[in-house]
Amino acid sequence: MLRGVDASVVAGEAVAVVGRNGVGKSTLLKLAAGLLRPQRGAVHDRPPRIGYVPERFPADQPFTARRYLLGMAAIHGLAPADARRAVGEWAARLHLERLLDHQLAELSKGSAQKVGLIQGLVHRPDLLILDEPWEGLDAATRAEVPAIVTETLDRGGRVLISDHLGGVASLPDVRTWELADGVLSSPALDAPDRIIEVAVAAADVDAALADLRAAGHRVLGVRTPS
Amino acid sequence: MSALIRLRLAAFLRTGRALAPLLTLLAVLGVIYGGGQAQAAEAYGFSAAVVFPVVAWQTQILFNVEPDIQRELSTVAVGGLAREITAGLLAALVPALTLIALALALPWPLGGITGPSVASGVVAGLWAHLLLVPPALLLGALASRAAVGNAARGLAVLVGCTVLAFVVGTKGSPVPWLAPPLLPTARATVDGLAAGPLTLQTAVAAAWAAVALAGYVTLRRRNA
Repeated sequence: MLRGVDASVVAGEAVAVVGRNGVGKSTLLKLAAGLLRPQRGAVHDRPPRIGYVPERFPADQPFTARRYLLGMAAIHGLAPADARRAVGEWAARLHLERLLDHQLAELSKGSAQKVGLIQGLVHRPDLLILDEPWEGLDAATRAEVPAIVTETLDRGGRVLISDHLGGVASLPDVRTWELADGVLSSPALDAPDRIIEVAVAAADVDAALADLRAAGHRVLGVRTPS
Repeated sequence: MSALIRLRLAAFLRTGRALAPLLTLLAVLGVIYGGGQAQAAEAYGFSAAVVFPVVAWQTQILFNVEPDIQRELSTVAVGGLAREITAGLLAALVPALTLIALALALPWPLGGITGPSVASGVVAGLWAHLLLVPPALLLGALASRAAVGNAARGLAVLVGCTVLAFVVGTKGSPVPWLAPPLLPTARATVDGLAAGPLTLQTAVAAAWAAVALAGYVTLRRRNA
């Protein structure tokens, strides 16, 4: 049960949701993905293309990895040629190529998790949601996660990651939300930091954020004056 | 959405679980038509009542083949719950219509149908089978894990509602509208489709399907 969550992820921003197991991180991610509806309140301005990578990929499905990934790419709206190219590229990058024609049920847990990761990436999502990506992946794929996050941010996407293992420390530029007892908080800032509030024309928000990040500043949030 | 329909149909056909309802239907219809010849209207009237629970069962299987987490992935990929629900029902419609085509065709090679009014009997049979498709699909959907949470509860819904349909559908029942009109439809077909029963049973089936659809959507939204 989450209460009083008031938070936003802006374009080009990565947010890590941290907290111990069972605290509601997955619930928050599913709210963002549109899989759960808040009992009170609302989720606004959800980007159209979402990539959702679950904590555990459901491998008990009667498909080869290739057939499954092409099917998911088609559901995401990719044309067949684009789907084949995207699946091929991601399989090569994550070293899944020689397993593409194996049945999902025959894959090891780590390989099945790669399939779960790829189905969330093939359509270049505007919002990438990774539920505990460091949990089931092998070491080589875990090492790819920071690059995947950076690429999504670089094309103006948003990333939401949950983590209870500390893998988020390997990410370059990430804001942290701490979840405890159903309440979300951003941790205290380092003492020497100061917060400045700046008004930016709505059309320039994305560019201003990119400039601020490029200058090495941490963007803490964007809000609309009430 | 058509990509999701295709993936779900492929999953349903590949698991092999599609065979159970198909073989059950063939066996039951084989018994019905193996017993001797009947008028087309009579044969098709009872065939429709038999096809109903089989289509509902088949729909439940098609829905339950998909793991719960995969249903979430499909929902995100297809762009929301409304589209996911629509894709599920449309996917189930394909094997449902296949079973119905089979049920309508089967008596011919078995020589189960005899004259005199074959043409009007076939029309009545087509009406009876198609009429019961929407309620059967939605009963299967209501009995799916996605709607009721687990397979045991789903089985109870499926069996309970089918038994109820046969019980409250008997002649002279005070509450025939409580369940999908299996037996009333069968009787209307056997009696040769007078305008009154035809309109009434079409209305009852449509109303039952509308209520079941509302119930299914409500359950899915509550689980979300």
